[in-house]
Amino acid sequence: MAKMNLAKAVKDFWYGKPHTAEEGGRRLGDLYEDKTGLLKHREWRGVKDTFYYMYNIWGYNYVHMVLDILKYSNNPIDFLKGTLRYRWMGQTYLPVIHWFERGLQGMRGEALAASAWHYRAMVSASIHQICNFFNADTRLHGGKQNNAYKHTFYANETTCGTLFYPWMDAGYQYIPMEMIPYFVTCHVNSHTVLNYIDAVQSLGLPGDPCPMCQAESGLFVLDDVPDSAPLIITCNEACDASVSTHTLQDWFANKPLFALPLPMQFDDPLVKKYCMNEIEECWKFIEEQTGVPFSWESMKKRLERQNKLQRDEWEKWEVASKTDYYPINGVAQALFRIYSTQYGIQGDFWEEASEKVKKIMYKCVEKKINPFPQTRHRVIAWSCAPLYYSNWCTWAYNCWGLNVIINMDSLMFDMEIRTDSYENMLEDMATYHMWAPMRRMAVGGMHHIFELWDYMKRFNCDMVAMYDQLQCKGMQGVHGLFEDEFRKRNINAFWMPHALPDCRTVSRAEIRRQINDYMTTVMHEEPLDPSLLDFDDSMTW
Amino acid sequence: MKDLKHLIFFEKLLQEANNDLVKQGKADGNRAIGYTCYFMPEVLLDLPGCFSVRLRAPGCTSPDIATYYLSGRVCHYARSLLERALEGGYNFLDAQMGTETCTATCRFQEHIQQKHLDSVDDMRIIDNDDFFCTFTDIPFKNTENSYQHFETQLRAHVLEPLHEHFGIDISDETLLKTIEDHNEVCRLINEIGDYRKLDNPTITGYEFHVIQLVSLACPKYLILPYLRETAEEMKTREPDQKKNFRCKVVLAGSENDDPDFTKLVESCGALVVCDRFCYGAVESRIPIEVKEGQSPLRAIAEHYLKTSNCPRFMPQDEMRARKKRLADLAKEYHADGIIIASNKFCEYWSYERVIDTFILKRDYGIPVCSIEKEYINSASGQLRTRFQAFVESIEIKQIQEGN
Amino acid sequence: MKKCKCKLGSKLGKFLLKFCGIFVALNAVLFIVFFFDLDGKLLFNVVEPFLKKHYDDMERKDVLKEPYDLDKFPKYKYDM
Repeated sequence: MAKMNLAKAVKDFWYGKPHTAEEGGRRLGDLYEDKTGLLKHREWRGVKDTFYYMYNIWGYNYVHMVLDILKYSNNPIDFLKGTLRYRWMGQTYLPVIHWFERGLQGMRGEALAASAWHYRAMVSASIHQICNFFNADTRLHGGKQNNAYKHTFYANETTCGTLFYPWMDAGYQYIPMEMIPYFVTCHVNSHTVLNYIDAVQSLGLPGDPCPMCQAESGLFVLDDVPDSAPLIITCNEACDASVSTHTLQDWFANKPLFALPLPMQFDDPLVKKYCMNEIEECWKFIEEQTGVPFSWESMKKRLERQNKLQRDEWEKWEVASKTDYYPINGVAQALFRIYSTQYGIQGDFWEEASEKVKKIMYKCVEKKINPFPQTRHRVIAWSCAPLYYSNWCTWAYNCWGLNVIINMDSLMFDMEIRTDSYENMLEDMATYHMWAPMRRMAVGGMHHIFELWDYMKRFNCDMVAMYDQLQCKGMQGVHGLFEDEFRKRNINAFWMPHALPDCRTVSRAEIRRQINDYMTTVMHEEPLDPSLLDFDDSMTW
Repeated sequence: MKDLKHLIFFEKLLQEANNDLVKQGKADGNRAIGYTCYFMPEVLLDLPGCFSVRLRAPGCTSPDIATYYLSGRVCHYARSLLERALEGGYNFLDAQMGTETCTATCRFQEHIQQKHLDSVDDMRIIDNDDFFCTFTDIPFKNTENSYQHFETQLRAHVLEPLHEHFGIDISDETLLKTIEDHNEVCRLINEIGDYRKLDNPTITGYEFHVIQLVSLACPKYLILPYLRETAEEMKTREPDQKKNFRCKVVLAGSENDDPDFTKLVESCGALVVCDRFCYGAVESRIPIEVKEGQSPLRAIAEHYLKTSNCPRFMPQDEMRARKKRLADLAKEYHADGIIIASNKFCEYWSYERVIDTFILKRDYGIPVCSIEKEYINSASGQLRTRFQAFVESIEIKQIQEGN
Repeated sequence: MKKCKCKLGSKLGKFLLKFCGIFVALNAVLFIVFFFDLDGKLLFNVVEPFLKKHYDDMERKDVLKEPYDLDKFPKYKYDM
């Protein structure tokens, strides 16, 4: 008996404890401190993976978080000043490594490595963006509008970066105004955004509009948006509240603002011309403001790189849909896709990560390595995800064997943009922007959202995680029909109520409880790791 | 004041969507065409052979089945419309001209649309074999590109379907004639409405609200004689000797087809002299002008984009100008204050209300009462308190200013 | 075994030993920080509360005083 215990201990030490309760289990839930979500100690993943994690992820990223600042910042002191000036910056930058931890918990081998590269790219791109903010911010430069300021475009975070490619050869940068201060912070430190939501509600805004838009305007109410660009471009992606947000932003920013509305009924071939004209009008505005003409070469070369990234993604999807060898976990897949498409080609971080991940993926394919061996259900996540709990997929795999293969947001930009002529490019740009974030399935006719069934088939999924963003009017408006269709089609689907960035409306524990209830009462399954069923992480980042 | 001759008749017409005049219009062989939003030009739906019905769901206080479909977190108006449709209240409709102008009403219209797809079952909510629903893409700007786009859309998604399905004559001549009829309605409503500008108005906000609503909810050719008669009657209507209001207000905000809400405001002492809300007359009753050499459809497309003050409009100059327009209305109608009322869950007006509340007071010195309301106002007690307090605050301001 | 009497060799040996010692000690410390999430604990319990207080106490511009001019910006309309 003692011999057997010793053998098991040695095996556990070398390889890490096995996943399932039957095999002795690693009991990841026991690692958490109550409420804070901090770890009593990090998981021992076996010698190889523990040290891979320590050196190649934990240490590597800490070092690169410093190196990236030196690389992208004109003056690292500005970075420090910005950290002390902006709440979203200070409260978010430091816990980044814990964000990795939450997303990568329990991962081993190729899944750990590949998913971490996606995270690495997102961090690098975020630092690039933060440095662009601070390099140009008049508040950090004694009110002076420096060269960086004059070479920066501000746009609403849902305006795709592709729009600004034509001026990048001339040294211009595009900053999606709220992407770091709102969107990224929610993933990394969900407490920060609550300040902004409360701020805008303090002006009398009711609590029911989309909390993303509330936070986006709240940033301006608290005067927490750097003054880094001479102009703003807004768009109507994706909902009524997005449009309305700009009324407050316009007032508080008080800069030249160009509105770029995109048609809603994008299936209608008649809307394309209108949309193309709108995009060209936007380019005219930029030309007028900067005095720099549109550069086809600048546009073309970045679009080609973007197309390559899109083809990479298709390659990954092909493996994800047809095999069990796809090494990227649900959260790393989803966030990488959203971050890269929103920010666009402004550095080589996306391409570098994509190459590395593809290499790992093809190794899995060649050697028939299943990076998620405990998969019980292949899940497609539909509608918009809870930002404060984007890592729920990691939990769901560890606890229940639910492997999120693909999600709706990733499928929004499912196209290349032709670069053989200006006319073709413009036509594709119109489609791309009409499909852009949160639009492809959410507007232009409710049949788009029911494309779910096709994607379930395409990605070979047997279960649906149906995000239920309580304040999204568009998605709430199809709630009943989805219930009807799930029943009629006998599809395994669970609802995940949430309030996008606001963890006070539906807590992470409540989300887990809903999934637990579904898995036990409907699916009659036992958890792989019972220690993860119920724990209190209400104060966690 | 002496009661208006047709007021009770008008009130009765507003009790249900399929009212007596709608029934008569259908019996005359016309097609009933539903719509919800200002951006669907009603004049196009009033072509000979059909008539427009701007949808309402009076008396719908508990939209239970619609809440299952749309959830309880979507605007009560959209849910009430769906509930009424599910009850069979809109089976008289031959078509619905949809717009994706606000999410909630868009979802309602998508529910009643027959899509004939494998991905989602049609519900056949409107039990009428002829029924169809099309969507028109509405621009967010006032630019040449938007006018052209809107014109193309209206032709493709309104006129041509009406012609194909019901054989409606959509020629320019017929359009011009319909614009004339439409303009007569506008002229009459404006004539009646202008009495609200008097020092002691000879019409209440409630009465005007009722009159404006019947002009939206009934076939124009059938309501016109009553409007003409009412306009005549107004010429000799005497106001009460003693003013029975304490102040005058502009009522602005989101969808409002509930005259009882106006009545509630007026019962607190604030006479509603101007109605700048969806279903109000400020924009919808501006006559359509067809310029020399302009096609009637192009004139219509331009008119509806140029006259709208909807918070959906995105350009910077538009966003800023509509605050001034509201302030100008207060001046034009001699109002002492503005009530901004947004429906719960209306995202456009939630934001617009916030900014209006600050800017109109700060930059234009106009007192503003900012409230959130339901489609059907069950919380009238709370609202009454708010309105009474607002009226008192205006009175105090007037005393302080020595008026 | 013959002991190397060369001074240089002995110095190099000592240096290597010292280097290895420091390397191992550094890695051991790093491992302890890593394994027991000491970085997370420091940030959560010390750094973040300090920063929060700093941001809460910060004086901010009253954005409601920002002007809302009608004619500050032209109409950005372009005929395509």
